[in-house]
Amino acid sequence: MRTLREDQVELGAVLPELSIELTPTVVVSTALATMDFTPVHHDVEGARAQGSADIFLNILTTMGLVERYVTDWTGPAAVIRRINVKLGVPAYSGDRLLFTGTVTSIASGEITVEVRGKVSLGDHATGTVALVLPARR
Amino acid sequence: MLRARAAIAGIGATDFSKDSGRSELRLAAEAVFAALDDAGLAPSEVDGMVTYTQDANQEIAVAREVGIGELSFFSRVEYGGGAACGTVAHAAMAVATGMADTVVCYRAFNERSGRRFGQPDARLGGQPSSQGLEMSWHVPYGLMTPAAWVAMFAQRYMHVYGATSEDFGRVAVAMRRHAATNPAAWFHGRPITLAEHQASRWIAEPLRLLDCCQESDGAVALVVTSAERARDLRRSAAVITAAAQGAGAGQMMMTSYYRDDMAGLPEMSVVGRRLWEMSGLTPADIQTAILYDHFTPFVLTQLEELGFCGRGEAAGYLQDGGIELDGRLPVNPHGGQLGEAYIHGMNGIAEAVRQIRGTSVNQVVGVANVLVTAGTGVPTSGLILSAP
Amino acid sequence: MSPDTDRADPGKPGTSTDRDLHELAVKQAALGQVRGAAAVDPVNVPMIRHWLDAMGDTNPVYLDQGIAPPAMAQVWTMQGVRRAAGQHSPVDDVMSALDAVGFTGVVATNCEQVYHRYARLGERLTSAIRFDDLAGPKRTALGEGYFATWTITWHAESGEAVAEMMFRVLKFRPPPRAVPREPYPLRPAVNRDTAFFWDGVRQGELRVQSCADCGELRHPPGPICPHCRSANRAYRIAGGEGTVYSYVVHHHPPVPGREPPFVVAVVALPEGVRIVGGIVDCPPEAVGIGMAVVVTYRQMDDELVLPMWAPREP
Repeated sequence: MRTLREDQVELGAVLPELSIELTPTVVVSTALATMDFTPVHHDVEGARAQGSADIFLNILTTMGLVERYVTDWTGPAAVIRRINVKLGVPAYSGDRLLFTGTVTSIASGEITVEVRGKVSLGDHATGTVALVLPARR
Repeated sequence: MLRARAAIAGIGATDFSKDSGRSELRLAAEAVFAALDDAGLAPSEVDGMVTYTQDANQEIAVAREVGIGELSFFSRVEYGGGAACGTVAHAAMAVATGMADTVVCYRAFNERSGRRFGQPDARLGGQPSSQGLEMSWHVPYGLMTPAAWVAMFAQRYMHVYGATSEDFGRVAVAMRRHAATNPAAWFHGRPITLAEHQASRWIAEPLRLLDCCQESDGAVALVVTSAERARDLRRSAAVITAAAQGAGAGQMMMTSYYRDDMAGLPEMSVVGRRLWEMSGLTPADIQTAILYDHFTPFVLTQLEELGFCGRGEAAGYLQDGGIELDGRLPVNPHGGQLGEAYIHGMNGIAEAVRQIRGTSVNQVVGVANVLVTAGTGVPTSGLILSAP
Repeated sequence: MSPDTDRADPGKPGTSTDRDLHELAVKQAALGQVRGAAAVDPVNVPMIRHWLDAMGDTNPVYLDQGIAPPAMAQVWTMQGVRRAAGQHSPVDDVMSALDAVGFTGVVATNCEQVYHRYARLGERLTSAIRFDDLAGPKRTALGEGYFATWTITWHAESGEAVAEMMFRVLKFRPPPRAVPREPYPLRPAVNRDTAFFWDGVRQGELRVQSCADCGELRHPPGPICPHCRSANRAYRIAGGEGTVYSYVVHHHPPVPGREPPFVVAVVALPEGVRIVGGIVDCPPEAVGIGMAVVVTYRQMDDELVLPMWAPREP
C-alpha cells in the first residue's frame, strides 16, 4: 500500500479532494459508531423540532473524517499528532461535504496540513492536522 | 284583506326522532303525503309550494317525489324558524290573490343527526355578505351559538325586570308536562320538576340545559287552500283569520343588541299588532297559544309583546301553572319544541290546527281561536287560526 | 410578556449576573481536573472496525497494529443510550447557570485534539475534565453569548495521558424568534365598509364610525348614514371605557379557539354606541351588568387582534 515519506511532501502540496455524500445513512451510522445518540443526529423530526433543517453530522464524526481525509493521502505510516478544528455551519443530511487540503508547514519533522470541509451553506470545518511521516529510507 | 280568505285543510308529519335514518327529501315527501291524505286531496291538485330558505329540499324536488305536477306559485321565507308562520302567510296570500289554489307548506330536516344548529360553526363570520359581516361583530369572541345569542337578551331581561332562572324554568316545566301526555312527543312520559331544571347544567349563563329546546329529525307539512274550498274537504279546516310577518327597526339575526333596551322583542310586537288588527280580536279571544319556545326566556317576552300581560309581568303570569293546560292561557299543549320536537316551529302550527279541530291529545276546551308564533330573536311571523 | 423583562439584563458586562457567572467560572476552574468514570469497554476491535466502516476509513494500520484511530479518543468514554450520566463535571454548573439566565443556545466552535500516543487494544481509558475559561459577554452572529472552554484528558490505567481535547462552545441567548402561532379559528369577515375598524384595532384604536356630514355615530358600521344618507364616512376614536350592558358566560358546547367558561358582553360606550367583546382578566362570577370596563387589545394570532374588555379600576 502506498504510503508517503517525509521527503515526498513539499510545502504547498495540495491534497486530492474528497467528496462525501451526506446520506442519512452516513449521518446516522457515523453518529452511532461514535456512540453519540443525541436525537439531532438520527431523528429527523427531533432535529426539525429543534429548529434544524434536518439531521446533521456530529462533531466526533467531523474529527474522524478530517483524520480520514489526511490519512487517505498519507497512507498508513503517518502518525497524527494534533487535529485542531474550528467548527462552522452544520453538515446536514442531503448535503455534500467536500474536503480540500494544503501542506502549510514542514518543520522539525512535523508536517501541518490545512484542511477545509465545505458544505453548501459554507465552511463546516476549517483547521489543521499536524502529523509525522517516516523519514527517508 | 287576507282575513279568513284561506284555511289550513290538512296537516301531516313524520315521526319525530334523533336519527330518522332517512334523507331529508324523503322526510319532506312523507309529510306532504300525510298532509294531502289528511285533507283528502291528490298531489295533482297542488299548484303552489312554500318552504323555508334554510330547507335543503327544493320545492321542485319535493314535487317530483310526491307527484305534484305543474306549479304556478313557489316561495321561500327567510330567517330560520322565523319563517314558520310566514310559509302559511305566503300560501294564504297566494290563495287569496289567485296565484294558486292549493299550496303545500313544508319543513323537513335531520337537524339532530345531520347539521345541528346548536353547534358552533366557525364559518359563520367567514363571508363578507351582509349576514357574514353582521356575525363578524360577535363570532370572533366565541358568541356563536343560538343559546348564547338568546342568553344575552335573557340576562338583560332579568336585570331590567327582576326575572329569575326559576321563572324561565316554569316554562320548561309546563312544556314537559304537556309533552308527557303527548305520544308523538320525544319527551312523552318524561315530565320534569322545577328542581330538576335548576339542577341542570349551564349552557350559556343565564340559560341552563333545560332552558334549551331539543334537537330533532322530522318533517311537517300543511295544506293551505281557500276557506271556501276547505269546507268541502275531508277534515274540518282551521281558518287563517290573520297572518303576519315582522321585523323590528335595527333588526339583526339573533343579535339585535344595538337597539332599544334589549328586554323586548320588537319584531314580535310588529307581528302582534298586525294580527290583532287583521283579526279584530284581542288576547282575551285566544283560548290557547302556540309560542315559539326554542329557549324559555323568549316565551316570557312574547307574552308581553303580544299583550297577554304587561311589560315585565310575564314572570307573574307564569306563576301557579299560568301557561299550563289548566292555566289562564295554555301555551303549547303539544309540549312545544322543548317537549314535542324541534321542527322549526312547523309542528306548532299543526298542533294549532288540531286544537281548532278538537282532536289534540291535550285538547283545550272550547277553542275558537289559536295564536301561533314563529322563531324569536329573528325576523318572525305569526298566525291566528280559527274554527270555521 | 418575556419572563426576562423584570430582571437586570444578564448580557451586560459588569452587571451582577455577569459577575456571578465569572465568579462561578473561576470557582469551577479552580477545581482543576475532575476525574470521570473509566470507559465501560476497553479499546477493542469491534468498535474500531465499526468506526472505520462508518467513516469510510480504509487505513489498515489500526487493525494491523492493534491501535485505535486517534480521533476515536472520546468515543471510548461516551455515555450510551441509557447509561446514566457520568460524574458531575465542573462544566455542568457553568452550563446550568448560563441556561438559567437565558443563554440557552449552544453551538460548538472549536475542537482541538492532541494525541500523545495512539491507544492500544485492551487499554481502558478514563477521562478527566477541567473547566478552563468563560469569556464574554460578546456579540455574535447568533446573539449575545459567552464562550466556555474546557479540556478533557484521557488517561491510561497507568495514569499516563494518551490524548487531550480542548473544546469550546458558545452559549448564546437565542434572539426572540417570532414563532408562527396557530391561526385563530374565529375570524371576522371584513369588507370595505368595516376594514377601518379592524385596521384601528391593530393600531390599538377603538374606532366608531361617524358620519362625515351629520356626525351621527354608528356601530356596527355600514356604508350609508341611516340618518342623512351620506356615504362620507369618518370615525371617532373611542376613549376605550365602557360599561357592561349585558353578558353571557359560555359553557357549552365547546367553541373553537376559546376555553370555556368565557364571558362575552355587550358593552355600552359613553360615546353612545354599544359593542360586543370578550371580558378578560376577570373571573366570570365577578362580571355583572353595570361593571366598568376598559378596552384591551389581544393578539389572537399573527394577524388578528381583537378588542376585549377588562375590569376598570374605580
